[in-house]
Amino acid sequence: MRKLSIILGLIFAVLAVILSVLPLYKLAFIPAILAAIFGILAFLKARNQDLPTHVIQVVFLLTIISLSLATYKTIFTVAEVGDTKELKQTEDKRKEEAKEELEDIIITD
Amino acid sequence: MNFKLTLLLLLAALTFSYGQDNRAFKAGEKLIFSAAYNMSGILTDVAEVRMETSEMNTSSSKLLHLKCTATTYSSFDSYFKIRDLYESYVNPRTITPYLYNREINEGGYYKFVKYKYNHKTNRVNSVIKKKTKNTASGFWDKKENVKINGGTKDIVATIYKIRTLDIKKAPIGASDSFTVLFDNKQTKFRFKLLAKETINTALGKKECYKLAISTSGTDVLKGSNSNLLWLTADENKIPVFAKFKIAVGSGELKIKSATGLKN
Repeated sequence: MRKLSIILGLIFAVLAVILSVLPLYKLAFIPAILAAIFGILAFLKARNQDLPTHVIQVVFLLTIISLSLATYKTIFTVAEVGDTKELKQTEDKRKEEAKEELEDIIITD
Repeated sequence: MNFKLTLLLLLAALTFSYGQDNRAFKAGEKLIFSAAYNMSGILTDVAEVRMETSEMNTSSSKLLHLKCTATTYSSFDSYFKIRDLYESYVNPRTITPYLYNREINEGGYYKFVKYKYNHKTNRVNSVIKKKTKNTASGFWDKKENVKINGGTKDIVATIYKIRTLDIKKAPIGASDSFTVLFDNKQTKFRFKLLAKETINTALGKKECYKLAISTSGTDVLKGSNSNLLWLTADENKIPVFAKFKIAVGSGELKIKSATGLKN
């Protein structure tokens, strides 16, 4: 049980760190919370059995890093559109074409 | 009694269907939205959607240019870059479309669609262009002359047409359908007035008409009452909020700003 909790905790903690550096950082909260739960479970088991907790500390460290990063990004990231130069050019080109195409249009209604 | 009820329902349906002239928007209107996509239950802002109107003058007529663009936020550009353009040139009074362009660039996928309407013959000259490696030009294109029903519009003109409807006279539960030409196929979209709701938006607390959108004969939109649109319950009928559920997932569209409003 302790080993399984450590393994799952580690997997979720690493996943949380990876997600927190990607644009999908909001998704990092799910594995981070799971990693914390498994970390606590493993920690309680280890304390009862008087076993070392070094790996569990790594799980907690990774969880804290991912949670801090994801929280920081959620609060401070301002969504901005990227380079729209090409789109603007497309818009202008289509507008020019439309003007020619619509030259013969007669609105009847 | 039954006759009176039928007459009343018919009247209600008619008032919903045939709104007067366009009193909802004018040239120069700019609506900016933020599109969020639902990923494992968490909504993530992925793109900005703009709806703009402008005037287009030709030597013989004055048209309204309705333009919708979708652009992914810079953080998503390296993963899935979207640069979409949807536009329609319409009669400013009746929102009857004359020309429609759709040019989409989605994560390397390119498609261009152009419809030129002939309302006298109820036909549309359609051009569809896609990128391909199989031809020397690098493009595959198809020209077609499509027969349409009277009143069929493209997707952009339909969205704006809904705003011109006289919804305030329609009772809760009233519905109306529109035929939309998309990818050379006519699809029936049904709009049902579900309720009048007050919601919080970036423009403040707004009383809105809550409309449910559904399609028949196609599975573009998923679920019943899963595709919802909130239009402000004033003369502008600004689309302030939308929830959508499509084949590839679900999400929301929230207004960020609205300028150049008619009323």
